Amino acid sequence: MWSTESIYAVFLATGFTVGFGHCIGMCGPIVISVSLQLKDRPSFLPQLYYNIGRTITYSLLGAIMGATASFTRFASEIGGFQKTILVFAGVLIIVMGLAMTGWVPAGRIFQNAPPLAGFARAGFKRILDARRAVLFLPLGMVLGLLPCGPVYTAMIAAARMGMEAESTFGGMISGAGVMACFGIGTIPALLLLSQVSNVKWLKHRDLIYKFGGVMMILVGIYFTWKGWTY
Amino acid sequence: MDPASNRCLAMARVALGAAIFLALAAAAAPALAQNPEVRTTCNIHQGPCSAELAGRNVELDISPKPVKAMEELEFRVTISGDRLSAAPYIDLGMPAMKMGPNRVEMVQQKENTWTGKGVIVRCPSGKTTWFARVTLPETGTAEFVFDVVY
Repeated sequence: MWSTESIYAVFLATGFTVGFGHCIGMCGPIVISVSLQLKDRPSFLPQLYYNIGRTITYSLLGAIMGATASFTRFASEIGGFQKTILVFAGVLIIVMGLAMTGWVPAGRIFQNAPPLAGFARAGFKRILDARRAVLFLPLGMVLGLLPCGPVYTAMIAAARMGMEAESTFGGMISGAGVMACFGIGTIPALLLLSQVSNVKWLKHRDLIYKFGGVMMILVGIYFTWKGWTY
Repeated sequence: MDPASNRCLAMARVALGAAIFLALAAAAAPALAQNPEVRTTCNIHQGPCSAELAGRNVELDISPKPVKAMEELEFRVTISGDRLSAAPYIDLGMPAMKMGPNRVEMVQQKENTWTGKGVIVRCPSGKTTWFARVTLPETGTAEFVFDVVY
């Protein structure tokens, strides 16, 4: 296998290469949705916070893997929760799409939601109306829990680091390190995609927002269905 | 500078940035991208898979069966012929997309039999086709392609 020193570099490079392929394919719709949702507002900082949030979650997962030194034990526990996160991501993209098309004003999307859904309603409205970039940090942290093959692979490596560590704390640190490197490696691709998908410089962008909104609704339905059947 | 020139300059920067990132990504691509000498498709749920590699018979078995993702699995490699110079190892991946380095280290059990523990992860895309690339140091690689159960 790789030496302890080189595994960080291996997973940094893995995050980088996977970022330009797998991540753009799987997480790209979320990133583009956030960029389009921001419309005329600056998108770099919100997207950076979103990616930092994701990386924080990966690091925490790595710390758990390293401390428990077992991938399968944790993976079996988190499966149902990840299904919920996938459905949440799908619904979020649908809501963003609906708000963007303008067919349903953002404020009215949740008008008839039952009172019990107050927490979710407040969360969605906060994301749609986000005025402060830092609000995208918790969103990134939540969506960092999305089920993802390469993330699982990095988690296996983190668990192996835990097996080889001399103490639980040592395993926790090295596991978090591997996952942090992986997360940092994925940031350039998704950040670049977010900037490329920002169309606020276009003169006739209303049509793109309409079309983008429809695409987001379709992608959101796909994500929701994937989550339902996961 | 007028707004149109600013826009062109911004787009040029993005394009240049994208080109640099893609070039770096290509340069950093792991050695897993190399092609194996032998590739064979088989049904791992029904029994071991085998392939001929440089005059040796390489047999791969995975248990328990049916072979499921997200569970700890035992990989068993049996190789015919002379003693190997170093331990074989297995790289797990998907033909359809890069999943990151997932290597199974093997420990010798008998003269020609090696075992190791590993996990095949689950891909949310729903694709179930995976490969196990067995590398015999100084001999070559044999790739076994099979479907797993999610």
